[in-house]
Amino acid sequence: MKFRGKIIDVACLNHFTRVITTISKLTKMCVLRLTPLNLFFVLSGKVANGGVSMWCELSQENFFDEFQMEGVSPEDNEICLEVTPENLSRALKTVQNARAVKLKLTSKHCPCLTIAAELPTLSSASRLVTHDVPVEVIPRRLWHEFKEPGMPDFDVSIYLPPLKTMKNVIDRMKNLSNFLVVEANLSGQMNLKIDTDLVSVSTHFKDLGNPPWGAEGSQQGGPSPSRDPDAMARTRVDIRKLQQFLVGQQVNPSKAMCNIVHERVVHLILLHEDVSLQYFIPAVA
Amino acid sequence: MDCVVTGGNVKVLAKAIHSLSRIGDELYVEPQEDGLALRSVNSSRSAYACFLFAPLFFSRYTIPIGLAFRCKMAIKSVQAVFRSIATLEKTVEKCHIELDEQKNLLTFTLHCKHGLVKTHNLSFQDSESLQAVFDKDSYSNVFRSHPRLLVDTVVHFPPSLEEVTVSVSDDRMWVKNHVEDETDRSKAMLTELCLASDEFDHFSVQVQNSVTFCLKELRGLLVFAESTGLPISMYFDEPGSPVVLSVTDSVLEGNFVLATLSDDSNLRKNNTKRACTPPPPPDDFMNDDMDSYLIAMDTSVMPGPSASRPPSPPLTNSTSLKQTAAAKHRTRLPSEEEEEEEEEAVNSSGPPNKKFCSLFFGSVLPPSSQMTTQPLTGQEVLASDSEDDVQ
Amino acid sequence: MPLSTQSQGDAEQYVLVASLDNARNLSNILKAITFKDHAIFSATPNGLKVTVEDSKCLQANAFIQSEIFQEYTIKEDSVGFQVNLTVLLDCLNIFGGSTAPGVSTALRMCYKGYGYPLTLFLEEGGVVTVCKINTEEPEEPVDFEFCSTNVTNKVILQSESLKEAFSELDMTSEVLQITMSPSQPYFRLSTFGNSGNAHYDYPKDSDMMELFKCTKTQTNRYKMSLLKPSTKALALSCKVSVRTDSRGFLSLQYLVRNDDGQICFVEYYCCPDEEVAED
Repeated sequence: MKFRGKIIDVACLNHFTRVITTISKLTKMCVLRLTPLNLFFVLSGKVANGGVSMWCELSQENFFDEFQMEGVSPEDNEICLEVTPENLSRALKTVQNARAVKLKLTSKHCPCLTIAAELPTLSSASRLVTHDVPVEVIPRRLWHEFKEPGMPDFDVSIYLPPLKTMKNVIDRMKNLSNFLVVEANLSGQMNLKIDTDLVSVSTHFKDLGNPPWGAEGSQQGGPSPSRDPDAMARTRVDIRKLQQFLVGQQVNPSKAMCNIVHERVVHLILLHEDVSLQYFIPAVA
Repeated sequence: MDCVVTGGNVKVLAKAIHSLSRIGDELYVEPQEDGLALRSVNSSRSAYACFLFAPLFFSRYTIPIGLAFRCKMAIKSVQAVFRSIATLEKTVEKCHIELDEQKNLLTFTLHCKHGLVKTHNLSFQDSESLQAVFDKDSYSNVFRSHPRLLVDTVVHFPPSLEEVTVSVSDDRMWVKNHVEDETDRSKAMLTELCLASDEFDHFSVQVQNSVTFCLKELRGLLVFAESTGLPISMYFDEPGSPVVLSVTDSVLEGNFVLATLSDDSNLRKNNTKRACTPPPPPDDFMNDDMDSYLIAMDTSVMPGPSASRPPSPPLTNSTSLKQTAAAKHRTRLPSEEEEEEEEEAVNSSGPPNKKFCSLFFGSVLPPSSQMTTQPLTGQEVLASDSEDDVQ
Repeated sequence: MPLSTQSQGDAEQYVLVASLDNARNLSNILKAITFKDHAIFSATPNGLKVTVEDSKCLQANAFIQSEIFQEYTIKEDSVGFQVNLTVLLDCLNIFGGSTAPGVSTALRMCYKGYGYPLTLFLEEGGVVTVCKINTEEPEEPVDFEFCSTNVTNKVILQSESLKEAFSELDMTSEVLQITMSPSQPYFRLSTFGNSGNAHYDYPKDSDMMELFKCTKTQTNRYKMSLLKPSTKALALSCKVSVRTDSRGFLSLQYLVRNDDGQICFVEYYCCPDEEVAED
């Protein structure tokens, strides 16, 4: 089991750091799966996470100039690690101006993801910094918990409004209430609503557009063609979970979508060139 | 005492006080013939700092002749005088410091723009002399650099980090975070920075060893050094004897004296060994062998996640650290933790471990009643300020 | 449903309708008086007055004249209600309250009368938010009987110079003592804290002093905890008038300029601390 990767390009390093930082805002701990082509950051929807689950997929060749790995065995050519994204993020942030950054699986005082960087200096020698981030190696028999979640059988799928606007609205609503109703229909409308003893607030977005899931035909989910386009599918969620998701977003993704399974789950999908992030927030009663 | 500070020096004075506030809760003021001494010490007496402002620093400096006077006061209240430190340069034209011994008042008068006059009358207590004994000329390892180098170094460590270990060889310095508890080591992120000697203005090593001290006070000094642009000098010897950080120019001198962790022999051998090992040339960085990073295990046969890690691979470092920990628990007896006044050079028979020598004030503090209230002896941790309580 | 297409029929049921192109012009000035949740709104044809009080010793009023609003319709001589100010501010800033140029939240505020909620329609960039804030019957604000004919001393300062003093106030002092006098020290703020006392003296000829009209030396103490909230008003204002009357009551009047350069006023009244006899 070996892993070693190298990032030289500053823009790639910056982008990679942003992705990790985004993940660190979403969860304290998660699982990093390394495969020859991809990196996956996974959070499975356990009760301890408040039922939230996350799936973030990166194509290694878009970030790494060198990427070598050997998995547990030729048939299971993967490495599965439990990591603290906050530590990775902090380590990466201090090496933003590095000439090169290496990421490798090492055996130090415990298994570590080591981030080693060569920092520029005014002198002839460079300054070397290494951060050893402890990780837990996940045994193969537990891998099944960290598989890509299936697309839920959603009632409505809709594009999200600008995340900045959504964040502003939800930050304020969070001051007023612990729970939020997200509702949307197939006519491009989405509403965010709270209701308390003191106040009721509803924010109405329109003309958002609905992603054409049906056309591709391959998805098992997707809204029923006979569904009334004006009928709202709604889910009541813990407002902090949605806020957490929005806090982490440092760049506007090229595509942001939301799928709603009526009274069950809100499924958020962000696509940003080579990165995709899925986030599942369960309904609360 | 009656003195006046003008122009940019007001900010220098303010920064020095802010810097001292990182050390202790009280400011010791002593007008001396060679200038105004401002000092502070932390509650466990393992960190001490002193600024001496020469008479030339002031546009007026008069003290009563032949009359020694000292006092101390809450450093917070002095800090409050210079609260708006960012705008100080623009707003304050003159600062007048006056001591009224009859009324037990130290008065700071700030003459500001638009005719605004701020007068702070601070009450004080008499105090004993506070002075650490150290002789910078006797140190075997001496370094000097622009503060930027140290600022760029400490930025790699999290603000919550308490202690760093500095190791040196003939041409390199390593700075890494110190993890106190063996059990924490598997969870803690370890960071190590390697600086080449030519990044320093001065780099002289006579003894290759390493010392561990608190980062908080170093950060305090950096606040001052960075704003004044003064180079920082660092002096250290053996583990257990204090490290001295200092800044000087023609009208001021600042010295921070910090206790270092007294090392146990095993650990020290290790550190020394590592420091002696010729560091890999920088080119090698790009060519390291992937096989050396093999984690020797096949997780599929492991019974469960908790047991998923095999015994530590036979890396000498980690093995000996574990033994050290075990040995420590056996040898640590309560009697050994008491009455450790002067820390001798570490002897091989196993002195109390993980211990900061906080005792370099013992020789100058009078055995007054104050002594009994000070946790002077056998501190296990350096600089255990109130901040430690929350952890 | 953008604001412009709100049916006019709706408007007829309301006793009060007030619209602003920029909701910040209301939210900013309300921030200056936010130290308790309960705010008493009283609307008259002249405009809106919002009052917040603390323990009958401190009162803050914000005045927003009817001209500030793009639309201001009131069907009665006076309309009064009470709402939670913190909630109202969160609603007014629902889109973030951006200060970026060219971005503003339009507001239409409607009230149908006793027992009805205060309804806000907010719109920014085509997104509409509707808020219904529950109202209560207004309490009667305390009358501090501060009358300009009884004013003993008065100074007008540029807020800049007081901001510095207020940001540095020794909060371990229970009181803020204000001395106003025709002779030295003219205008002095004093605190008496744990580690000593501090005096801030403003000479009467300072270029920060726009008006100095003191007839008699007066030294009064005010509870620091009561005066501290006024710092918010100070921060927003460009000028402040400090007045004391013969009883030692303090009036602080702040001139606040909004994003559009219009002027509003905020005023604070504070009782002197009873424990100290006046000189």
